[in-house]
Amino acid sequence: MRATNVLLLLVLLTSSAFAVDVKMEPVKPTPVTANTQLGKKLYDRYCSQCHGNEGKGDGPAAEFVYPRPRDFTMAIFKVRTTLSGQLPTDHDLFHLISEGLPGTSMPAWKKFLTVNERWQLVHHVKTFDSLGLFKEEPVKEQVVIDTAPKMTDALIAKGAGLYQQKKCGQCHGSQGRGDGASAAGMKDEWGELIRPVNFTKSWRFRGGDRIEDIYRTFTTGFNGTPMPSFVDAIPAADDRWALAAFVKSLARPQKNAQVLKASFVKGEIPVDPYAKEWEGAEFVDFPLAGQIIQEPRWFKPMHDVITARALYNDREIAFLLEWDDGIQGADSVTVQLPTTDTGNVKPYFLLGNKGHPVDLWQWSAKEGGSRMTATGAATPRELGNLIGEGGYKDGQYRVLLRRSLKGGENEVSFEPGKFTPIAFHLRDGDNGEEGMKMSLSTWYAVLPEPTMPLTVWLWPFGIGFLALGGEFWLLRRMRRKCRK
Amino acid sequence: MMRRWTFYIALVVCLGFFVGLKFGIHPPIPASVLMIYMVLATLGILLFVAANEERFAAFLEPLKSVFEGRAPKVVQVLVLVAIPLLAGWGTWLRTSPTWDAPFEPRVVHPEPPSTFNLHGFPTETAKLKNPLRGVDPAQLEKLTNEGKTIYYQNCFFCHGDALAGDGHFANAFSPIPANFRDVGTISMLQESFVFWRVATGGPGLPKGATPWISAMPVWQNLLTEEEIWKVILYIYEGSGSTPRTWDEEVSHAGH
Repeated sequence: MRATNVLLLLVLLTSSAFAVDVKMEPVKPTPVTANTQLGKKLYDRYCSQCHGNEGKGDGPAAEFVYPRPRDFTMAIFKVRTTLSGQLPTDHDLFHLISEGLPGTSMPAWKKFLTVNERWQLVHHVKTFDSLGLFKEEPVKEQVVIDTAPKMTDALIAKGAGLYQQKKCGQCHGSQGRGDGASAAGMKDEWGELIRPVNFTKSWRFRGGDRIEDIYRTFTTGFNGTPMPSFVDAIPAADDRWALAAFVKSLARPQKNAQVLKASFVKGEIPVDPYAKEWEGAEFVDFPLAGQIIQEPRWFKPMHDVITARALYNDREIAFLLEWDDGIQGADSVTVQLPTTDTGNVKPYFLLGNKGHPVDLWQWSAKEGGSRMTATGAATPRELGNLIGEGGYKDGQYRVLLRRSLKGGENEVSFEPGKFTPIAFHLRDGDNGEEGMKMSLSTWYAVLPEPTMPLTVWLWPFGIGFLALGGEFWLLRRMRRKCRK
Repeated sequence: MMRRWTFYIALVVCLGFFVGLKFGIHPPIPASVLMIYMVLATLGILLFVAANEERFAAFLEPLKSVFEGRAPKVVQVLVLVAIPLLAGWGTWLRTSPTWDAPFEPRVVHPEPPSTFNLHGFPTETAKLKNPLRGVDPAQLEKLTNEGKTIYYQNCFFCHGDALAGDGHFANAFSPIPANFRDVGTISMLQESFVFWRVATGGPGLPKGATPWISAMPVWQNLLTEEEIWKVILYIYEGSGSTPRTWDEEVSHAGH
């Protein structure tokens, strides 16, 4: 295994170092010399819990996080400024430790450790290299990342063309949601499950989400993963910048809020989740965490966010729930609501508690709409007038759950201007999630937004006219005085 | 010569105050406080201007020229239109309905109950003492390390790799998980309090602290009493803080 890796490395080294439009410069010198003792002390304290005492990526937390912590013994690193297959520079490792890896449990250590401490960790991490590569063939040149060109529509369009032409969608999907035909079953160098990144989630770009970061990834590739360098496939640097601009244009940050506002619609609420009216409805991204309270505890959920919109008319309220999933599997979603108006005391955020039951609206790809009620543990109940419909398209689930505004027995009533607690549960079928193996949110609130009554204009207009009247009175008085 | 600019200087000073108060102070001051300061500043400027008759006349001159029709027509129209619009807009800002989340009062470190149930047995909070302290340093280090392992298999998802309350699950929760490096959390609490919070979690909070808001699990369901004490050893050691104690002797014995 190791011998083949070295071979592969050498092949990659020789094949990709020439022939293409990549500006190189000598590696910058390392500004801090190693203090072996301090390096080990810091590593044991801050890193060993995940990366293990011997740097094998097998610390006590390793089994509890996804993706798995890096095994340093093979000296394979993703985020680098060196050509594909090469070792990282010391500055690359320093950057990695300082900024962390977004979308993983590796934090940005610049918040907690001094510059000197981080350099000591760079030196220490290199000591785990079992093949002695850092000593024998340290990298001498690194890629120059120029200033990014301006993000123009033309550049993005050019990038979109390249995205198609170079078949990026094969892994990352036609809409960039990581749902390409080859997405399922991908493994990294260590045989661990790996998924193509979802380009719409800017907070999950391992190497950072600046256009320069994306360009660097295309140029250098992510060693140890199926993400190759594109310097051979897209030799022109301008083209790689265009592709980076296109990918950047797909990404957006989360839009979080405490309140999900439902707008009023005249007439029918569209039942088609792809209807134009839904596109216009205000959305909120609700971040999710693994359910680690009740057995079976779930530490490695795949879904980290659910996007919700809501609309209501004079009879009904409807929720449109969206979540991206690169591999369709058989997902399911739950909307949790209290069964009655609760005032200040909400039910326990995980399935309610004695005396404070919750109503669970569910939709699963396997069984469609269903409903449960829970006071700590869930039991099925009649659907009533709840309707759940959903589907999967282009790497994204969309589910519509709707019910009458007015609640019956053990059902909360939605009223314009009234806040109702709401929470979400999500299960990724492909990741083996079902039942309590899920990601969840705590309580938020949904608010059917009252239509603006005309009386709200009374004060502003009143005061405005009063000011106008005052002005003219003053005007007339002063001009008369002037004439006299 | 400067005198003819009195009005504009007053306007600029007033705006300067606003910009300074609004953007120059971190963390930002509440809007109501800003309002009080602005009223005071405006009054101060007006008082200064009105204190001298000549200055006051110069101050009023630009306004007079508009109202008496001496200013250019364009300026007259602009001013006369802008004043009612500003008045109306200001009123709209104050009276328009907004839909913020309902305010949920919350006590950060609520009074613990005098007794609570620990694995089914009533336990007096005040009498709780970390039984693992007071051992020899080598033993303490071993126990703390065991606490570290427990922390990284149960707590760090929320409370963070560096114990700063910023783990990879942290942003899913409101309120956010406690930051143990913050001097306002465990370093101002006694270990008995921390034990009670860990053992009974969010559901164990008294009514006044709006119990169900906290997502903190009831850890006595998942950890033994000794494991909880070990974790407590680690979160103090790892965050570089010491528990609050009443007794000088105990605080020395701890470290």
